[in-house]
Amino acid sequence: MTRDEFERTRRRFGDTVETWPAPFRQQALALLANEAGPEDDPDAMLDRLVLEAALGDGDDEALARKVLARIDSGRNATRPSLLPRFLLAPAGLAACAAAALLAVTVAGYQVARLRDDLPDSELLALASGAQLSDVGAADMATDPTEEDSL
Amino acid sequence: MPAAVSHEEPRADDDLLARIAAGSQGALSELIARHGRGLRVFAARYLGNASDAEDVVQEVFVTVWKQAARFDPARGRASTWLYRITANRCIDQRRRRALRSFIGLDDIRDEVASPEPDAEATTAARQELAIVRDGLARLPERQRMAVLLRAVGDLDIAAIAEVMGGSVGSAEQLLVRGRRTLRDHLAMAAADRERKSS
Repeated sequence: MTRDEFERTRRRFGDTVETWPAPFRQQALALLANEAGPEDDPDAMLDRLVLEAALGDGDDEALARKVLARIDSGRNATRPSLLPRFLLAPAGLAACAAAALLAVTVAGYQVARLRDDLPDSELLALASGAQLSDVGAADMATDPTEEDSL
Repeated sequence: MPAAVSHEEPRADDDLLARIAAGSQGALSELIARHGRGLRVFAARYLGNASDAEDVVQEVFVTVWKQAARFDPARGRASTWLYRITANRCIDQRRRRALRSFIGLDDIRDEVASPEPDAEATTAARQELAIVRDGLARLPERQRMAVLLRAVGDLDIAAIAEVMGGSVGSAEQLLVRGRRTLRDHLAMAAADRERKSS
């Protein structure tokens, strides 16, 4: 911060530098400290160096305009669905993965049940004394003694 | 041991938030004029991406507009509340970036102007700033956040702990480690320069 910038910021935020918002406050205090002499505290020196290095260009008035435009557009627009944002979150992804796993598990059980249904029905038919017609059942009844025992 | 900053409590922010809660857009503009730059610098250096930082800070002030009534001056300073919202948004943004990068939608690039020390300028002071920027970018995320909250936000250890959702001790440790790493980085760069010049 130069002397000119300091004076401009003083007109903006008042005479008491300590009440200025960050990072204007630290920049002003650094300027005043430089004018008074070298800084003794190594941590304070590093903090000032970090602040100076971090500062970049930016238009505060443009930021305010964009925020107000966003607020106005939010008022006019209908409320967007929360689903896409939810899906992008890690919790959303985990929930989707869990749902997919559950669906696959249920589908697996269903398919397995379909396969199990055929022998079960044939065994029931066998128990009730019906004629065996298909190949699997014929194999089961190749031994005549077994057939008698049934 | 980092010293806590002792400066007068800016009551102006509390008043502005009360006016924002009452629906004053003028008060919001004033709050942005006071804190927009600090929040943007913090977000840009934490995220390493100026465009993401701009978006995050806009979101923060939209959130402030909607939730100003929830701010309780008795529970803490307005600036701490603002940095807390910003830090949380930055973490969310970083996760979104990482996820998008993971599924191949985009890549993470450092888009904040961080030129190479040698290319940036010939003066030693500017080279030093570039080295600090490089050191900041290399810090672990939580150390970087602690260092930036201290240097840019001018928050004391208790406020840093509140923003980061941890204990005072852990915040202090993060700050101490971050500063030490930065100093080591600066010392190594200085030694490199000396070696090259000799």
